[in-house]
Amino acid sequence: MKQIGYYPGYSTLAQKDFWDDATRAVVLKRLEPPAPLRFFGPGEAERLEAVVNQILPQDDRPAERRIAIVPELDKRLYEHRGPGYRYADMPPDGEAYRMGLRAIEEIAQHLFGAEFLYLRNRERDQVLFTLHDGEPPAAKAIFARMSVKHFWLMLVNDVAEVYYAHPWAWDEIGFGGPAYPRGYMRLERGEPEPWEKPEQRYEWAAPEDSLSGECRPLPGSHL
Amino acid sequence: MKCYREEEAVDYCIVGVGSAGAVLLQRLARAGFKVVGLEAGPFWDTERDWVSDEAGSHQLYWTDLRITGGSDPIALGENNSGRGVGGGSVHWAAFVPRLHPSDFRTYTEDGVGCDWPISYKDLKPYYELIEREMPAAGPAWFTWGDPHGYPYGPHPMGGVGDTLVRGCTKLGIRVCAGGPVAILSGSRADRPHCIYRGFCIQGCKVGAKQSTLISHVPDAIAHGAEIRDRSMVARIHLGPNRRVNAVTYFDRDGREHVQRARAIIVCGYAIETPRLLFNSACPGFEQGLANSSGLLGHYLMVQAGNVVAGRFPDLVRLYKAPPAHAMTEEFYETDPKRDFARGFAVQTVGPLPIAFAKQMAKAKGAWGWGLREVMMDYNHWSTLGVLGEILPAYDNKIELAEEKDDFGLPVAHVTFSLHENDHKMIRFAVKKVEEILLAAGAKEVVEEQRYAHLVGAARMGTRPENSIVDGFCRTHDIANLFICDGSVFPTQGSANPGLTIQALAARTADYLNQQGEAIFTSSHVSREKPPVRRDLSPPVTFGSGVPRV
Ligand SMILES: Cc1cc2nc3c(=O)[nH]c(=O)nc-3n(C[C@H](O)[C@H](O)[C@H](O)COP(=O)(O)OP(=O)(O)OC[C@H]3O[C@@H](n4cnc5c(N)ncnc54)[C@H](O)[C@@H]3O)c2cc1C
Ligand code: SF4
Repeated sequence: MKQIGYYPGYSTLAQKDFWDDATRAVVLKRLEPPAPLRFFGPGEAERLEAVVNQILPQDDRPAERRIAIVPELDKRLYEHRGPGYRYADMPPDGEAYRMGLRAIEEIAQHLFGAEFLYLRNRERDQVLFTLHDGEPPAAKAIFARMSVKHFWLMLVNDVAEVYYAHPWAWDEIGFGGPAYPRGYMRLERGEPEPWEKPEQRYEWAAPEDSLSGECRPLPGSHL
Repeated sequence: MKCYREEEAVDYCIVGVGSAGAVLLQRLARAGFKVVGLEAGPFWDTERDWVSDEAGSHQLYWTDLRITGGSDPIALGENNSGRGVGGGSVHWAAFVPRLHPSDFRTYTEDGVGCDWPISYKDLKPYYELIEREMPAAGPAWFTWGDPHGYPYGPHPMGGVGDTLVRGCTKLGIRVCAGGPVAILSGSRADRPHCIYRGFCIQGCKVGAKQSTLISHVPDAIAHGAEIRDRSMVARIHLGPNRRVNAVTYFDRDGREHVQRARAIIVCGYAIETPRLLFNSACPGFEQGLANSSGLLGHYLMVQAGNVVAGRFPDLVRLYKAPPAHAMTEEFYETDPKRDFARGFAVQTVGPLPIAFAKQMAKAKGAWGWGLREVMMDYNHWSTLGVLGEILPAYDNKIELAEEKDDFGLPVAHVTFSLHENDHKMIRFAVKKVEEILLAAGAKEVVEEQRYAHLVGAARMGTRPENSIVDGFCRTHDIANLFICDGSVFPTQGSANPGLTIQALAARTADYLNQQGEAIFTSSHVSREKPPVRRDLSPPVTFGSGVPRV
């Protein structure tokens, strides 16, 4: 399978000998097999996995090159690690995740009369778009206790944080990765360093049976 | 490092060894006072503790719980405050513009905000001192506010700065390239120059970017200051005669200690400082220590930090060069042609992939395949930040929440809402940045609403009725209690606050030095301006980013 992204053959990990020890240890840890879950129960984990697959789909990546996301979310919630704040209209993060999963189930039932897990790709995206748009058609009781908008952004942010922390994701987007102690020497005009790759664009399209390929502004956006 | 006994009253106990706290510690130690700094976070070993990695850097920020509400709630944590020796200067981008002379008198000049009890002239010598102590790099001629030049030459341009300069030039907007930023463009003593790796916000392992950890802390220790890290101050004690005499703190193992001191300076920044004073309420100060005015916690400010991102047909590679490397202050002052007071600056920002993905989730509403696709274009985007002056408002405030932290101390509840002038300024500023990006050749422009830089909530002023501290950062209520950090700002201008915070600390230190023993023994409040002590700067900063204790 071809390497995903416009920088074929680019590998940040190929540069790991040029990184400092502390950084190398932190990044290489992300390649280790994920630890067992401690926060989410098996049923919850399966549903969260399905939701996360829509938020950050990886079907185009070879199976052995998919980035495990749920275990990292689980770890953060188990260890009570937060970003340093909680919105006044949100319950604690762990509780918010549990409530959010239940809400997604209720919306799936409301719209399609079936569990989220048994929905087709498009239907799953439809359910999630109701959260994105801030207009969930069900789970009123849950969203009376929790802001839809803040739940949605927490979910997308958390998932993005795990994915784009991974060196394979850096290869996909052409990010230089750790850069100490070597640094950069070509700063302007987007020129690659000798060890970076020039861009080779190709036509890219989201799978036809999905809806999330088309970006839609969040409610209340300005431009 | 020197070690004081707790029963022995030191001259000054400094709560929080961050941007301001470290400068005070260094100067007071050099002047011969016995000083102890208590810092909630760790004393960093920069080579071992810091990484060149976004997700691996969370420990640099204040990530204990805070509650944030209001109609425009602000994100805290990594967006706002640091924890550890060096405080916010560890993870700042290090843009170091000065405030403009007009910032100190917005009420007189524009009928908004309020006047400071001090003027630009009072701070100017300290701006000059701190710019050399950092030292700052920038153009030989910085044209806005009170024009001046910088000790180190400007930095080369990265892709983001290049778009700002191109766009501004097309539109005839004056723009400044390569600074002002507290990053070395050439080496100094054993601190190396910048290597343009773009990880400033994750802490500069190189030692090129100033943090007070490397610029002031080593000199403080060399002159007898003690820093106790992982020491969280829980309460300030009020003794007889309306004077404070000790603090209670928890050490790294959660054990409680009491450190006695003849005077106390709180430098915990705009949320933790009011929180500590609220938590120190006692008979005589039921609504918070030094809060006879009832204004503690009020007039909290952040700057509008809306990020406008533009997609370019050519590659930008925004992750190279320090995020802070070009700006314009052309729109800084009140312009009668606009329908709002005061103004804004435009600055480069260079989000790394995680920050950029989060930005796109908000700005474009991207998720799923859409997020994957926009991220594959990461290298085509340039990001410029508005830095706009939000006016002080009474209802933007900090209170105590019901929730408690690990030590059982109530956490802060922050309330923040924009007002009419703020909304108008932000809409105008975003539009202007959009024009700049389009002029530079962007084909698509999107905006993320966000905020930067906390200040206020323990404002300085002329009288006990209108403020918490006076022009020398002394609390009106308690003669030997000082607050010196970002929380004392009455207004904020459109300049990043860090330089002003460090300059205020240097000035406060001069005042304390001039007053000498009187601070510890007398309740007479002198308003005499101290002479500028140019002999208290650290000689050269040393340590290559790793202060060796
Ligand atoms: C991502 C980011 C980028 C920034 N970029 C810039 C920039 O480019 N230019 C600029 O000028 N500013 C910038 N800032 C803002 C700047 O970092 C802060 O304004 C500044 O550091 C605040 O200084 P301070 O001395 O008031 O507080 P801090 O430097 O935050 O120091 C406060 C210290 O007190 C400690 N503390 C708090 N409470 C207690 C307690 N109870 N007991 C013991 N210790 C305590 C904290 O752990 C902390 O170390 C940036 C901020 C962020 C988050
Ligand atoms: S870009 Fe320069 S100042 Fe910023 S972290 Fe890298 S070396 Fe340090």
